[in-house]
Amino acid sequence: MKINISRHQIYILLLSIFLFLFVLIFSFGLLIPEGKEYRLKRVELKKAQQEYNKYKNFYDETLDTFKNLQSKNRNIITAFQRPFSPERFEKQYKNNFSSLKISKINRVADEEGFSVYEVNTTSHIASPTNFYDFLDALNKGDWIIGVNFPIKFLRDGEMIKSSFTMKVYANSDDKNASASGSLDK
Amino acid sequence: MKYSYIEPRKKTPFTPDIQLIITFFSITLIMLFSTYAFLLFKNHMFVKDRQNYVSSRIDLQNSIDRLDQKIAYIKKQKALSEKVFTQNMVLKDSINNLFDLVPERITLSRAELLENGLILYGITPSKDVYNFMLQAPLRSIFQKTYSSFYPQKNGWLRFVSTNYINEDEGEELNSED
Repeated sequence: MKINISRHQIYILLLSIFLFLFVLIFSFGLLIPEGKEYRLKRVELKKAQQEYNKYKNFYDETLDTFKNLQSKNRNIITAFQRPFSPERFEKQYKNNFSSLKISKINRVADEEGFSVYEVNTTSHIASPTNFYDFLDALNKGDWIIGVNFPIKFLRDGEMIKSSFTMKVYANSDDKNASASGSLDK
Repeated sequence: MKYSYIEPRKKTPFTPDIQLIITFFSITLIMLFSTYAFLLFKNHMFVKDRQNYVSSRIDLQNSIDRLDQKIAYIKKQKALSEKVFTQNMVLKDSINNLFDLVPERITLSRAELLENGLILYGITPSKDVYNFMLQAPLRSIFQKTYSSFYPQKNGWLRFVSTNYINEDEGEELNSED
């Protein structure tokens, strides 16, 4: 039996086979690997997004904590930032003393990463109660100041002459250095 | 010279069969190429978005680190300020206790509060009054107590009371003097 296939039909068959092979090669060679990569990258993106969201939430929480802490301790933060001014100090606390004199600002060794300035103070008080009031007011004042030993009380007629050293604490990026310089001049 | 009465039909390679095959494969190829282009574009976008997320995450991480540092610094400031405030209050109580300690019959002329000691200068009517009313409470607070008396013209005694919390620190204070 003789199969009679025309040349035209052979061309059609060859074209179909060629195109079919092209589709197969293209699909398995490029499209399917690219599809696999698409799935992998989508998973990776999701992971990156989840991680980002986790960090974002943590950042928001940390920011909230920071803001709370900042608002609760605003006075303390400002007190550490504020450069010490002897004139302002005398003005603020003169009510507690009959006379108050700030003599010198000296920078001493840093404590716990903060700059520390020593201020010598001589004053006259009518009674020890004035000194207690001064210590109370100091804790609510514009600076972080600790009254330091030695503290001397000397009877001076009806008054008590007191002399003591105060330690002013400030941030280590100190602005008190200029205040100290200006006072020395 | 004509051999046929009909016009010859034009022969074309695009027979209906070929047209059908080409149409079919064209649609298939268009779909494949568009899918491939879509995948390429999406993969590119995924990579880009992932990079953005990663860089944003790194920025957030740095911001968190900076915030943590700031929080730690504020806590440090708070701790130091509380320590200073407490010291001031302790000092206030100490001075208050000191003045409460001195009986009415003894008059202080000078008081020096040291870090580890207390030096008092004053006038007492007699040694007994001093010993019972001032030295006894001072001995209960300080480990070392030294007293010196100097008689005055009116019969009273001027005294100097030196008190230290412990021997070692007392010696350090003495050497400083």
